[in-house]
Amino acid sequence: MISNRKWYTGMLSTEDWWAVWLGLSFFFLGFLTIFGIDVVGWIAYPKKWVFSLPEGAIAKKIVTVKDAFYALGGKYSQTAKDFYKGLGPIGSILITYLVFTIATCIGAYFMKWNLKKYFIGWTILFFLTYLVWFIGHHAFFAATAVDLKKSKISMFTLSLGGGASFILALIVGLVIGNFFKNFARFLSEAARPEWFIKTAIVFLGVKVGYLPIKAAATSQKLGKEVAGLTFDLFIAGAAATIVAYLIFWPGVYFIARKIFKLPRKTAAVLGSGISICGVSAAVATGAAVRAKPVVPIMVSALVVVWAMIELIILPGFFTHVWPKTDDPLVAGAAMGMSVKTDGADAAAGELMDEFMRSKIEKDTNGAIVWPEGIITVSAVMTKIWIDMFIGLWAFLLALLWVYKFERKAVEKVPVSEVWHRFPKFVLGYFAAWFIYLILFFGPGHAGAQEGIALLKAAKAGAVPVEKGMRKFFFMITFLSLGIITDFKKLKEAQFGKMVWVYFISLFLFIIPTAILIAYIFHHGMTIPNIAN
Amino acid sequence: MERQDGTGSLTTDALDSEDVLTGAEDWTPTETWLVVGSLIAALIALVIGLIVVPTSILH
Repeated sequence: MISNRKWYTGMLSTEDWWAVWLGLSFFFLGFLTIFGIDVVGWIAYPKKWVFSLPEGAIAKKIVTVKDAFYALGGKYSQTAKDFYKGLGPIGSILITYLVFTIATCIGAYFMKWNLKKYFIGWTILFFLTYLVWFIGHHAFFAATAVDLKKSKISMFTLSLGGGASFILALIVGLVIGNFFKNFARFLSEAARPEWFIKTAIVFLGVKVGYLPIKAAATSQKLGKEVAGLTFDLFIAGAAATIVAYLIFWPGVYFIARKIFKLPRKTAAVLGSGISICGVSAAVATGAAVRAKPVVPIMVSALVVVWAMIELIILPGFFTHVWPKTDDPLVAGAAMGMSVKTDGADAAAGELMDEFMRSKIEKDTNGAIVWPEGIITVSAVMTKIWIDMFIGLWAFLLALLWVYKFERKAVEKVPVSEVWHRFPKFVLGYFAAWFIYLILFFGPGHAGAQEGIALLKAAKAGAVPVEKGMRKFFFMITFLSLGIITDFKKLKEAQFGKMVWVYFISLFLFIIPTAILIAYIFHHGMTIPNIAN
Repeated sequence: MERQDGTGSLTTDALDSEDVLTGAEDWTPTETWLVVGSLIAALIALVIGLIVVPTSILH
């Protein structure tokens, strides 16, 4: 654990830092629209579609198959709308492929991955992602009652919104990962869910910063309301996370040690893996307490597999069983504290965002419409705080192990360890958020008339990033998570005991506690209605 | 699943089969201090949070 690392070590060689570089690069490119330069409008985005529209239908929310994708700049750009419109579905997908391939290959090169294998794997993953995105947006899966009404179409649909594509991506990934293992192994060089999701979370920072700008387009009052809400989530998320974590860790450690009679180091790694942000925490704690390498590896495997199970169960549970749409931000915060990987949590939050928005629109017949992304933000906010806690906790455990359990008084644990364990992608998230927020409250005049022109220009660059790029990276995360998840590993004998510790801790302790604490700090928080 | 040094990547390489689940040490007072101390800190954080956070159920 203790080494001669500098503060900048890993800036060009870790996924964590490359999520920052990739995320902030596109953020800055998007930001150029405030100077009249639009270089991000090419991103291809799906629409809900049917093969052919029935007589009398309007191609509005639901279109025909030939228009199933469009370049977002064709709708939102202020300076290059015609150019982006002219790209058409195929052109925008090809440019998206070209730009992201170059960008991620540069990252892969610096991270010293097998570039040829990465390139081929990435190409397959990219087009598979777009294929799944296309299928998942068929009206049967995705169209809500409101979409059908606006397009004057009458048909049975599952009303899953964009969530259908996420589920489908996960299923396709799991099928590949569990039934085509050689193919999955080949793709694993490019299937990097942690990198993809951390990049998506930096894009989410753009989303959080953009939310007040979007709301201000409706009214200045709404803009300020959304800005206030995201800050409330920030504060409530911090308090909930600190309380939850200080309960989670000792609880899981106690269960592992006292009930399952596990050795101290294994219990400590499990405690962190199940309590904090799974994989990173397990690895950080494993290093801090100097557990055998196999311990964090096993815990990481369990974290990924259980996160998948949570991802399948929790969004539906929170949407349809409790708290339904009555307390959506309690559900979001509880999700962030319960799902133990960044990828699965952000993805589950996104899925629940889609489910809950579709449900409230359907239940109220369109009288209530929530802005997209606020529920996702509530899920990610608690996770971000948990991520930041990893470094501090690993440092404390390292001190405890060195000075108490192993009594190596001569060994020093440097404070810089906290920085080395700090999740760097969080910096990108906050940078993107705060820069848009400064723009909103500064030159944007908080949505007042004199700032509207600038905010509209900012919107043209923010939407392709926070909507198109973010969702694409979520999609490819789902696919990649499925590909690297091998259910067979749960059956392996040596996992038996850990599986049970994880199961009992998660479902009987972590999730109920997370719900209770989320309720204490988030109950009653409401999402603004943008129906009118 | 293996986490490679320096890359932060998860790959699907086979797991080591070392036995790390047996041979539990006796529970020590330091562990009691760790567990109880953490819970006490949680309680303090909860009280402070209830008072300070404007969206808590106390407000």
